[in-house]
Order: sequence, then C-alpha cells, then structure tokens
Amino acid sequence: MITIENLEKVYKTEEIETTALNGINLHVATGEFVSIMGPSGCGKSTLLNVMGLLDKPESGSYKFIDTELLTLNDRERSNFRKRNMGFVFQNFNLIDELTVFENIELPLIYNKVPAGERKKLVNEIIGRMNIVNRSGHFPQQLSGGQQQRVAVARALVTKPKLVLADEPTGNLDSTHGNEVMELLCELNETGTTIVMVTHSSHDASFSNRIINLKDGHVISEKINKGKTEELI
Amino acid sequence: MFKLNLKIALRNLWKNKGITAINVGGLSIALAAFILVMMYFTYETSFDKKNPNYDNIYVVGRTFPDFKTNFTPPPLAKAIKEAFAEVVAVGKMKPSGFEFAAFTDQGTVFTKKQLFMEYEAAKMFNIIPEGGLEKPNGTETFYYLSKPYMQTLYPNKTDNKPEIVSFGSKAEPMSGQVKGSIVPNPHSNISFDAVSIVNEIGAGESYGYPNYYTYIQVKPGTDIATLESKINTLYQAELKKNGMIEEGENATVTTAFLDPLKNQHLRPKAGNDANYKVLIALSLLGFAILIIACINFTNLSIAQATKRAKEVGVKKVMGAFRYQLTAQFLIEILVQCFIATLLSLVIAEIILPQFNRLFLVDLTIWQIDNDLIWQLPIILVFITLIAGYYPAMVLSGFKPVAVLKGNFQTSRQTYWLRNSLLVTQFSVAVIFITGLLIINSQLKYMRTQDVGFNPNQVLRVKNIVYFNDPEKFAPIKEKILKVPGVKATTVANILPDGSETGSNGYTANGTQASLDFIDVDYDYFETLDIKLKEGRLFSAEFKGDAQNAAILNEAAVARFGLKDPIGKVVRGCNTDYTIVGVIKDFKANGFEKAVEPSIYSINNPCGNGKTEIMIKVDENQMAAVLATLKANWKDINKRDGDNFRYEFLDEMYGKLFKKQEQLQSVFFAAAMLTILIAILGLFAFAKYITNGRIKEIAVRKILGANDLQIFKLLNTSFFYMVMIANIISWPLAYILTKKWLETFVYRVDISALPFIISGLITVLLTIVTVTLQARAAVKANPVNALKYE
Repeated sequence: MITIENLEKVYKTEEIETTALNGINLHVATGEFVSIMGPSGCGKSTLLNVMGLLDKPESGSYKFIDTELLTLNDRERSNFRKRNMGFVFQNFNLIDELTVFENIELPLIYNKVPAGERKKLVNEIIGRMNIVNRSGHFPQQLSGGQQQRVAVARALVTKPKLVLADEPTGNLDSTHGNEVMELLCELNETGTTIVMVTHSSHDASFSNRIINLKDGHVISEKINKGKTEELI
Repeated sequence: MFKLNLKIALRNLWKNKGITAINVGGLSIALAAFILVMMYFTYETSFDKKNPNYDNIYVVGRTFPDFKTNFTPPPLAKAIKEAFAEVVAVGKMKPSGFEFAAFTDQGTVFTKKQLFMEYEAAKMFNIIPEGGLEKPNGTETFYYLSKPYMQTLYPNKTDNKPEIVSFGSKAEPMSGQVKGSIVPNPHSNISFDAVSIVNEIGAGESYGYPNYYTYIQVKPGTDIATLESKINTLYQAELKKNGMIEEGENATVTTAFLDPLKNQHLRPKAGNDANYKVLIALSLLGFAILIIACINFTNLSIAQATKRAKEVGVKKVMGAFRYQLTAQFLIEILVQCFIATLLSLVIAEIILPQFNRLFLVDLTIWQIDNDLIWQLPIILVFITLIAGYYPAMVLSGFKPVAVLKGNFQTSRQTYWLRNSLLVTQFSVAVIFITGLLIINSQLKYMRTQDVGFNPNQVLRVKNIVYFNDPEKFAPIKEKILKVPGVKATTVANILPDGSETGSNGYTANGTQASLDFIDVDYDYFETLDIKLKEGRLFSAEFKGDAQNAAILNEAAVARFGLKDPIGKVVRGCNTDYTIVGVIKDFKANGFEKAVEPSIYSINNPCGNGKTEIMIKVDENQMAAVLATLKANWKDINKRDGDNFRYEFLDEMYGKLFKKQEQLQSVFFAAAMLTILIAILGLFAFAKYITNGRIKEIAVRKILGANDLQIFKLLNTSFFYMVMIANIISWPLAYILTKKWLETFVYRVDISALPFIISGLITVLLTIVTVTLQARAAVKANPVNALKYE
C-alpha cells in the first residue's frame, strides 16, 4: 500500500540544522499493522507526519497504492488525507467545545457525508466503541481511556484505508492502554492498515512488524513472529 | 458544518465570558461614540439636501478688501435674472434684526427670526405653508407664522382662513393679516419663525442698500466659474452705471462671488469654517476611537488564539481547508461585532440626550429615513474586517503538526504586532489626556483672565426703538436710573458679546486706517466697567461730546501711531472728531480674535441704530430690579411694548466659549473612552501573559523570589510599553495642542506638566491593572503550577 523511497527531512532553525529523516526506505503492505520504534528524536513522529501528509519532506518519494503523494498541492493533500486516512494522537486532541457525538461527526462533515448518513455512521461506531452512554458528554467529562476511545472512533468513522497512531497509549494507564491496543488489533483484523509510533515494546508486540529508527535511519526491521504466526 | 462551527463559537465565547464581555463591551462603547459622531456628521452635512434643487442653488456674495459678505443690493438680483439665461430663478430674502411681539386677545408671541422673502425664493427653497404656497398678487404680502405661534395666538382656530394680528406695543399697535401657519424645516439654512412672502422686496432701492440675500438657481450643468466671472463683470458695470464708483476709483475694490448652497451651513465663503473644522476633528476622533477598539479586539483575539489552536489542528488533520477556517473565524468575529453593534445602538440611545444638549441638535436614532440603515451594515463589515482579518489569518494558519504536539507558540511577528498595537492604543490615550489637560488650562485661563470689562450684573434689554439721539434716550435713562438698585444704564449699537460691528476708514496723524466703530451713549464705559487709560469719558457736561467727541482704544492709538492722542483730531464719515479719551483694550470678541482698533462716539452719521439697552444692577438687588423693570417697562419705554424681555450680558459673552466648552466635553469623553478601552485591553492581555508565565513564576518562587519581585517582573514589559507610548505621543500631542492654541490670540503657554501628568496617569493605571491581574498567579501555590508538567 505504501512505498517510501529515500525520504529526507531536515529541520532548520536560525542556528542549527537537524536531519530528522535521512534516506528512509519503507514498504507497508495492505492490511499490515506496523510499529515504528526508536529513541526520542529519532524521527519516528516526523515519519508518521509525512505519511499523514501533515509535513513535507525535502526529497524522496511517497507512493500510496500507485499515487505519488509528494507532488500534490495543499488542497489535494487535504482532500487525499480526509478520504484515506485516520489519526489517533497521544494526547487525544478532541475539541473541548464539542460533545463526543459531535467530535466523531466532524470528519464526516468535512467529507460532505449527508446528515442522516452521518448520524447512522456515528451511532454505529459509538456502539462498537462501547461509549453509547457518553455520546452527549464533553471530553473533559471523560476518563483518559474513554477520551482515547472517542479519538479512535473519530479516526475510524470515515472507514479510512490507513490509520496513523502516534503513541496512542502514551497518556493512559496499562488497563486503558491495553483496551486501546485491542481496539486497534480488532480494527486491523477487519482489514485496515495501521502504522503506529510507540515507545512501548508491549504495544509494539501487538503489531506484525516492528521498524526501529535511529538518527533518521531505519536500523532494523523485525517480523513479530508470534503475531504473524497467530495470523497464519 | 455551519451548525457545528456555531456551536464551537458559542461554547467558546461562553467559556471565556469575561474576555468576550470585554471584547464586545469595549467595541460597543466605541461604536456608540462613532455612531453618534456619524449621525452628527450626516446631519451637519445635509442641510437642505432634500431640496430637489440642492446642487443648483448659489448665494451671490461680495468680497471687500478685508472681508466677505452675503449682503447684496437688490438691483443686482434683477440684473442677473435679465442678463443670464443659465440662471433659471433669482430670489431675495431679508432678515429682520428685531424680536417682534405679535398678539391677540388669546396670547402673545415674539418672533425671533422673521424673514422677508420673495415668492421666487420660497419656491426655490421648497418653503410650503400649510395649505400650499400661493403667489401673491402685485404688492400683496402673505404673512405666515410658525405653527406653535399660531396655536398660541389662535388656540381655537380650525379653518385655514387668514386672521388679523397686532404687532408691537399695545399702546401703539400696528395690525396686519396672518395668512396661515407654516412648519419651518429645522434642517435648512433658511430658518425663521415668521415669514412674509411677497413678489419683490427692495423694489425701489439702489445699489447703496446692500441689505439683502440673493439666491440664484442655475440650470444643471452650468459652468459656475464662468458664471461667477460674468456676474462679477455685470456687477462692476452696474456699479459704474449707477454712479457707485467715482471717476478714478478702483472698480475692483468689491467683487461678486458665488457660493454653493451646500457650503452655507458649515463653511460659507462669507463667514468662518470653524464649525467645519470642529466637525472634521470630531469625525477623526470618532474614527480613532473605533480603530482603537478594533485594535483591542484584534489583540485579545490573538491572545485567545492558543485556546483554539488544537481545534484548528484537528480540523486541518481531518481535511479542513484554510479558507474554511478563515471563514469560520471571520464569521465568529462578525457575530461578536453584530452583538456589539446592537449594544452600541442601545448605548448611543442612552447618551443621545446629553449629546443633543451639547451640540444643540435634535438627533434621533429610531426613524425610518435614518441614514444609519445603510451606514450600519457597512460599518459592521468594516470593523469585522479590521478587527477580525488578522486573528482569522493567525488562527487558520496554525500548523497542525506543531499545535497537536502542544506547541502553541504564536510567531515572533505576532508578538511584535500585539505589542505595537498595545503601544498604539496607549499612545492615542496619552494624546487625548494631554490634549484634555491643555484644553482645560486654556479654558481656565479664559474664565479667570481679566477681559478688560465686566459683563456681570449687566442686563441687556431687548428693544426695537432707535435711540441714536442722546436726548431721546435721556427720559428713559432717567426712569431706569430711578429704580433702586440700578447703578448705570446706556444704549449702544452693539453688545460686547462677540457681535460684529461695522468698520470705516478714519484718518489721524496723517495715517489712514480702518477702525471698528461703536456708537454709544453716555455712561457706556461706566456701565461696562471699562478702564480709562488717559483723558476722560463722555459726559453730558461737555456739550460737544454728543457732536464730535471720540474715545479710542489703545489698539487704535497704536494703529495711528499717536504719541499724545488727547485733543488730536480723527476724521471719518465727513466728521472731525476730537479725541477726548483713550480706554484700555478689552476683549469684546473673546480670546480668539485680537482686540480691533476701535472708535467710540455718540454721534456717527455712518453708524447703525442704537437699540441695545444695557443696565448695570447692584448684585444684591437683581431680583427686585427685574421685578420693578418688568412692572414698569411699558411706562419706561412706551413704544417698545408691554413686555420687558432681557438677557444677562455675562451669559451672552459666555456663549463665545461655547465652542471650546463643546470641545472640552468631547475631549473629556474621548480621553475617558480611550483610557477605558486601553485598560480593558490591557486587563485581558495581562491575564493572558500571566497565564503563559505560570510555570516560570512557580519556578522563580521555588528558587526564592518574593511576591514583589514577581510583580516587578510581570510589570516591567508593560511599563516599558507604556513609556514608549508616552514618548511617541508627547511630540504629537504638543504639535496638535499648539496648533489648537494658535487659534487663540490670547492663550496659555504649554508647560511640561500636562505631559508629565498623562505619563503618570497611564503608568499608574497600567501597574494597577497588571498587578491586579497577576495577583492570583503570584499568590498561587507553585506546586500546583508544576504538578501538571
């Protein structure tokens, strides 16, 4: 599904230049669940942002199925993103002024889904996520685990081909963290491709493949045997 | 999507109630001020605008070497009508200089402003009495009284038939016919409370009687410059033909000009444009206040921006385009501006009565044909763009990658913009405070400075009888002086209340000069307490005083360069006057004009009628004197009437200060408003800055900083900003106030004090505001601030 070649990304400030991605090559197959790991500052979040079209690299190629994405303009990127991708963040990033229902509904609105259809889709996912009785609440009224469920629901409601998760359990305790990871696995089992950035080997153990980054390079790739065998 | 955005907006505004209130409140107050100014501007610039001939009506005036006048001789109108095809109508008018009593058995009214008007002029100005404008036959006169007067004189009248009314005193009444009533347009240059409409006025009068206003209506598209020059040529030729210019005399001493109707109210050529300047200054002021409030809005919106950063980031991740977000924020700001506009109408309505009193107008907001109906939406869009464009761009420009990671820093550029906006606000506030202080000191100077005469306890009695001959006034004077409490009385052609008298050429010491002439009676200087410099005042003991004695003021003596003026001769108006005394200059025309070189005489063949009776009264007996005069007036001044009507001279003189007092009130309001808005802005801004530094405050406290040090830390940057604002605005305020002071001949010097005071006021207010706002953060337990790291 994703083919990345020779990706380079440099951050410039007034005094220093930091190479965040240094010739990354990467392939993610459809239906795969890939974890990206590495120490702080290794470029893993940058890579995720580039994959999510939130950031632009200096050079390289990024193909999604057969489309080259790095040549798209801002508007095309926005359009592509909203049709194909879902995001889950470490700090949830729910809009405080909107209720659970409204937060989940938001991406559907930007995808111009008619109101009746929206209601159906949101209710369906709320049911799946087990947060039915929270749909009228505001984010501050929920626990961290519940907030992340809402965030996942929001990422999934448009049925994206690719879900990008940036340390989805980073702000959660282990019980709620596991719940979220199980949710992602279920999702992956229904065919959604997932790329996740994480610090936690425990979380990474849920994925099919683990990619290790250091100083902007891919230093190792490991097939998660247990997981793969399980799948087989 | 709109619904969802609206929800976000409303919930956001509600969550930040305080700041929303400051934002919307500040804007609505400023907008209210602006709306009032705009209504006033519209009113003042639209006199006669509803007249269908508005653009084609001109006044014919005449230019003399040192002044211009709209008074023209009557034959000129006729000559213009006959000579130029592009002039479609010519009409003359003549004001009456007196208050006339009109009475019936049922009541008495006093017409204060009576106009004699030609039918043609009435038609030109759309003057329509009740029942329609009728053309008089031949020399017929149609006399109309204003509606309230008619109701007083004929309370039971229901028909439209003419009535007989008496004029003048009951002892010697004249009678005449009132054709009907009329409702004068208060929004016209032609104002009156009684009007006589005839076919022609001044019919037999020659070019030597320039006592009429001449209005012409031209064909649309007429080249006015050409017409003006043709009329001037005609005027010169007519003067020559009628023997008004002697051989060898320069014909171009007086020239004719045209002045459009639209200039008459605010900046007539024959008159001054002070009202126009005040109007322009006021409009700029209103605009400045509005801009400051918009700046405030911008500043607070940017300060609030970080709270919306996450929303922007999330929406962008989900595929929102920047323009959608820009539109969303602009609509949010539009909604706030709309609420502010509604509120401002309420505020304006509350202030309107005061405003109307101050500017002597009668403006109303709630009327159908109000220009506000189309002006308000334009203003709304304008302030939305001014206040909202930059915040909307900042907000919609957030990079999702950064903000979703929790990095809410706005750019350095925004930081600079915010600070410079704050400095701008305070600069304007400093200018207004300094201006107000200097206006106050000039007005105080004007109120306390010796004006050279004493208008207090002097009554001006309204009178229509001429007392040019002292012998004619003597019996009246005797009767007035018999009233206990009356100290002195006199009559003159003019009051020392800023009124313009005439001027003539006089020669003395081989020098010719133009002097203002004031025609007086005995005791003029005593009544007004004017100081004698040398010689003596007029006295009945000197028989010659009533014939050819003159008193000059210091300015006149200086003008002639007379060393030893007493006994010298001044020649003017075919009379040789002997100078018997010199008085000290006194400020009859207030502080704006220099004292004119003036000549005072009892006899002046070229002068005007003496009608202004002045009576100096003992301070403690004023009420009794007024009562006695009122009771006996018809015996004292038989021909004038049964109604003793008076004014206090000090109040009339005080009207000379009216314009400056208006300015003072406006500046007071403006200074208060700008300070209020700036402080409101600072209050919210300081909160934002303090909140952003909570962690820093906590760390410093843990490291041993005390409260005072923290307060100092938070205040420093604001202190510098306010100081910069002061330094920027001091020279500006100096230049502006100096320009204003230059409109006065007699004025105060600008001292450093007003500048220092406005500096102190702004610095003090800033420190108090910031300290109040920072208190919570400083007093909080530092552990709480760091716990959430």
